[in-house]
Amino acid sequence: MRTAHPTRPRRTSADGKPLLSLEDVQVSYGGIKALRGVSLEVRSGEIVAMIGANGAGKTTTLKTVMRLLPLSHGTITYAGEMVSGLGPEELVSRGVSLVPEGRAIFPNLTVRENLEVGAYLHKDAKTMRETIEDVTALFPRLGERMKQEGGTLSGGEQQMLAIGRAMMARPELLLLDEPSLGIAPKLVQQIFAAIRRIAEAGVTILLVEQNTRLALQVSHRAYVLRTGEIALSGSSAELAANQEVQAAYLGG
Amino acid sequence: MAGAQAGSTRPMGSGLLKQIALFGGGLLVALLLDFTLDKAISDSSIRQLLMMAACNILVALSLNVINGMAGQFSIGHAGFLGLGGYSAAVVSANLHEALGGGEATFGKSFIVVPVSLLVAALLSGIAGLFVGLPSLRLKGDYLAIVTLGFSEIFRLVIATAQIGDKETIAHAWSSAGSPRGFVHAISVMITSLGGQNGYAGPKDAGVPLYAGPFWVVGLAFVLGVVAWRLKFSGWGRALRALREDEIAAAAVGVDPTRYKVTSFVISAVGAGIAGGLMAMNRDGTPIVQPDSYNFQASFDAITMVILGGSGSVTGAAIGGVFVTFTVKAIELLQSTSAVQALKQRFESLDLNALRMIIYAAVLIALMIVRPEGLLGERELFQKKAPSPAKAK
Repeated sequence: MRTAHPTRPRRTSADGKPLLSLEDVQVSYGGIKALRGVSLEVRSGEIVAMIGANGAGKTTTLKTVMRLLPLSHGTITYAGEMVSGLGPEELVSRGVSLVPEGRAIFPNLTVRENLEVGAYLHKDAKTMRETIEDVTALFPRLGERMKQEGGTLSGGEQQMLAIGRAMMARPELLLLDEPSLGIAPKLVQQIFAAIRRIAEAGVTILLVEQNTRLALQVSHRAYVLRTGEIALSGSSAELAANQEVQAAYLGG
Repeated sequence: MAGAQAGSTRPMGSGLLKQIALFGGGLLVALLLDFTLDKAISDSSIRQLLMMAACNILVALSLNVINGMAGQFSIGHAGFLGLGGYSAAVVSANLHEALGGGEATFGKSFIVVPVSLLVAALLSGIAGLFVGLPSLRLKGDYLAIVTLGFSEIFRLVIATAQIGDKETIAHAWSSAGSPRGFVHAISVMITSLGGQNGYAGPKDAGVPLYAGPFWVVGLAFVLGVVAWRLKFSGWGRALRALREDEIAAAAVGVDPTRYKVTSFVISAVGAGIAGGLMAMNRDGTPIVQPDSYNFQASFDAITMVILGGSGSVTGAAIGGVFVTFTVKAIELLQSTSAVQALKQRFESLDLNALRMIIYAAVLIALMIVRPEGLLGERELFQKKAPSPAKAK
């Protein structure tokens, strides 16, 4: 029996240095500042959540880390290297994968093809086959639907596919953007169980999630974003107990 | 979990023997056709039609790379076809002279055709690179205008050249020391392409027609298989992913820049070969004219791709054949006595205009009934996806 773990990360040692760090990152859309100087750290092996209201800059932060948006100020360091000047494909090859908001699977490609595109940087047939096995072990549903077009899957299944596709790149840092958005509660449970398993296998996770309760349950630490700035940060347990957070995001 | 490991997306299976048999078989058929087609079909217009259909399959396959797989919208495919056609005509005519002229024999075609097509493919590919570069910044309509601009510039530069200047290219270049001389030499070169009247070889003896059925059908077959393999290769998969969602594709490491530009280059190379084959087609006319590469030609190519189903290789082939036969059917209709009688009374009657009406009607009907085209993105001869019920 092969391990059900989805990945074999290349760097797992928790030497105390952050795997990812953002320093005073500022991003603007046109004239509007979306991020007004965000600094945060993700250490190896952690699950870190970012919570906050709509428009606070959570998705922008993830896209910026992935180098899909230009920085106007600040630096991003990954595994000790400055990555602010690189393109997304270089981030992928360094071990960062993004599961975009709203799933963004490729609807006219089959499930298998979606996964194969994800393995864009690990193309050799053997690695590809093994990684697909790992992903289908994580999400058996996908294994049943390999030849279906991605667009024919249900919302939850598409989210599984989006995560599976990101896992195909064998990341050491997984960026998850709103994995529970618009998905049936039962499937949300399954997806979060899979996220926990991915983390147990040694993948570091930075999670953006509008379901604050769920986010604080699954994560070790969390940052609260408010209008493009970090308003609060701390261990997830602390934040869950914080009155301000309770009032603003946990419904009392 | 069942079925997860089994099977692959490659619909034809990838046994090496099977492929050798496939290629060998295809080429053998093409070779046989080369010697028997003249005897089997005595009507040259029907032979011409069959060869045109094979060429048009290549036209559709090449445009399908940009418009189907990459999801860009090019309406200037005629420019690449023309560049290929003119290059192949010039190279083959001069090479023919250099080989001593005479009959365009099957033996000599093994020198002339590959060289001419190589030059045609190369020049078209370079043009594809330059037209592809704006595709990084432009999308949709704006990109379409760039491609249209390219093809119209190509056509008009040749068509509007003032002919009558008998100076040779060699002489013009020998005195091309100054910028003015350089411009003059270029204009002599363009003039030598015959302007609106078309190009018929260096001595106006006609473009030698070396491309018999072996080359036309053989290349249509070989490049068809290449197109198929390309679609299901890692490259094709990444390209299609990019079409579906650029951000998501970039997030898994697909570099949009590289893929968009290469798709243009590959498409242009294919069009260059198709244009070259049409110019040298044994059953065609020994002259290349700028008007063969007008917007109508680009539109025909788009019709082929949309009709067959954008992104489908077999669909593009079907579209290519359909368009060819529509043109022919209208020609036949024109020659019937009833239409001829009508023409006596109404001189301006031209049923060729009917072609646009037929295309338009077919396309509108298709958009209503089957917006994705005959085959959508699917392929004939492809293993079907299991029905959801069976998958469980």
